[in-house]
Amino acid sequence: MIFIMAWRNIWRNKMRSIVIIISVAIGLFAGIAVLALYNGMLHGRVRTVIDAEVAHIQIHDTSFKKDYDPAYVIVKGDTILKALGLMTQVKAFSARSITQGMLVTTTGSAGVQINGVQPREEYEVSGLKKKIIEGEGFKPGKKNEILIGKKLADKMKLKIGSKLVLTFTDSAANIVSAAFRVAAIYRSNNAPLDERNVYVEKETLNELLNIGNGFHEIAVLLYRDEDMSLVQQQLQKQFPSYKVETWRQISPETDLMVNTVDVYSYIIMIIIMFALAFGIINTMLMAILERTREIGMITALGMKRFRLFFLVLFETIFLTISGTPIGLATAWLAVRYFNKNGLDLSGMGKELMSSFGYSTIIYPEFPSDKIIIVLLIVIITAIVSCLFPALKALRLQPVEALRR
Amino acid sequence: MDTVIDAHNISKIYNPDTIPVYAVNNVHLHLQKGEFTALVGPSGSGKTTLLNLIGGLDKTDTGNIFINGIDITKLSAGRLIDFRLHNIGFVFQSFNLIPVLTAKENVEFIMQLQGIKKSEREKRIYPLFKQIGLEDKMNSRPSQLSGGQQQRVAVARALASKPQFVLADEPTANLDSKSASNLLDIMALLNKEENMTFIFSTHDQRVIERARRVITLVDGKVESDTAVVDTSVLHETEK
Repeated sequence: MIFIMAWRNIWRNKMRSIVIIISVAIGLFAGIAVLALYNGMLHGRVRTVIDAEVAHIQIHDTSFKKDYDPAYVIVKGDTILKALGLMTQVKAFSARSITQGMLVTTTGSAGVQINGVQPREEYEVSGLKKKIIEGEGFKPGKKNEILIGKKLADKMKLKIGSKLVLTFTDSAANIVSAAFRVAAIYRSNNAPLDERNVYVEKETLNELLNIGNGFHEIAVLLYRDEDMSLVQQQLQKQFPSYKVETWRQISPETDLMVNTVDVYSYIIMIIIMFALAFGIINTMLMAILERTREIGMITALGMKRFRLFFLVLFETIFLTISGTPIGLATAWLAVRYFNKNGLDLSGMGKELMSSFGYSTIIYPEFPSDKIIIVLLIVIITAIVSCLFPALKALRLQPVEALRR
Repeated sequence: MDTVIDAHNISKIYNPDTIPVYAVNNVHLHLQKGEFTALVGPSGSGKTTLLNLIGGLDKTDTGNIFINGIDITKLSAGRLIDFRLHNIGFVFQSFNLIPVLTAKENVEFIMQLQGIKKSEREKRIYPLFKQIGLEDKMNSRPSQLSGGQQQRVAVARALASKPQFVLADEPTANLDSKSASNLLDIMALLNKEENMTFIFSTHDQRVIERARRVITLVDGKVESDTAVVDTSVLHETEK
């Protein structure tokens, strides 16, 4: 009977209850939209890290990343490449020669990381070809071609066909300089990386570094993200003298975001619900004050205080959760639409998004795995909101309440 | 006859620290089972306060009230709620039905508070509505009933808990004469057939005429306590 009373009580003042129900629905919609947006942004960022920047796994000589000395080539490189070729989980891999150097033009200079790559393998692992926005990439038979990022090109005023000089030290610590011609300009979702990374053919760079067929890095792309830890363990076990790292270790800031974004999302959700709680408290207080006489009467008849408390609690819960299906359904529909069509945030500033490594088009993802927690937050909001009105109701003395 | 209410020396004082007002002043009251008693007196004479004290809705400042041998002035607030639920039926002046429940649910509500099973509740509800002549209005909401019908449902609700006695605070005050007469007929019948004890506070001459005992209060004191043997003859008994 208390359930029936609670449910019917919320419809005694339809307009007031509908306002609160809609508020809860909007609050829930906003909360879920934030969760979905975060999910989508983060998923997009992780995919960029894996598919365009780091790949799933990278292998280096243990000393190489300390100061990027080109002398630290992967000695058993061919053996590792052969082993990778036999692993069923591996989709593609790319061997890279890497050195740090100076890019010089007539207008200025910039510090860059020079990546010597084998175009076909690199295109497959990092999707470099897809990122090209001007030019066509490396042409077979043409030497000393270079691919530079859009941001660097703008900064150094470089165009397709522009000449530049790269200066760096070789494996014997001799200073080497060579002229290159811009073959293509690329743009990824990560402007700082675009500004810093240039790509030349591995064969050309190896000659200049004097490292023969050696290389410093192997980037490994897998078919499935779930296999990453297993493959890392297998490779580390097979080649213990090399450093085998996953993207989580190479890009710890992304890993940190993956691990903390849920907490931030829930905090936002709690803030939204906290604000809503005041509306619910106000509504319930008004309902209690309007029904003072009735509450006095049911207490006089013999309704115990705990039952009265549950009456107010159920009323508040019903009022709060009535808006939940509406909020969930509208959020689901909106997220579904934008998941399919993408949410273009370029209006907020393309540079701003890419300077943090994010795509300007976000594909929000409905946070199905977090719905239970969201519902829990809603119910806790209702419970917290009912406390003050319930206390008011419990304090009413029947004889005084009946006089009003 | 069994004693239902035995009140000794009860007083209720408002503003005891400033200008004390004796709403009820040193009242002794003794009611037997099956009595049909009217508390009468001018406005402010203490009728409602006395009913509230007997009903355990208000605390006395002095004295004791024994109901079936239990001193309700000594009960804690929680036990008093429980005591009211199982021993006292209430009929209020302004009907006071729960507006979101149907007539049937209003009556059932009190039995559910008592923890009576659904099957037993169902068994008891229909005869109650038959007694008040509203068996065809069981599923109506209070807003769909007239004032008289609502007050009859309130009587059914008061009886549903099988109380020791029913306290009715000005039950006919808001009723037209026909509805008031119907209500009094029902209560008189319940008193006669089921020996149910009724205590009314009233101004209404029609109620006073139907009462078999009339207690007159003036300034919180019992002015007279009259047993009516015959409706035409009143015998003054000792105060």
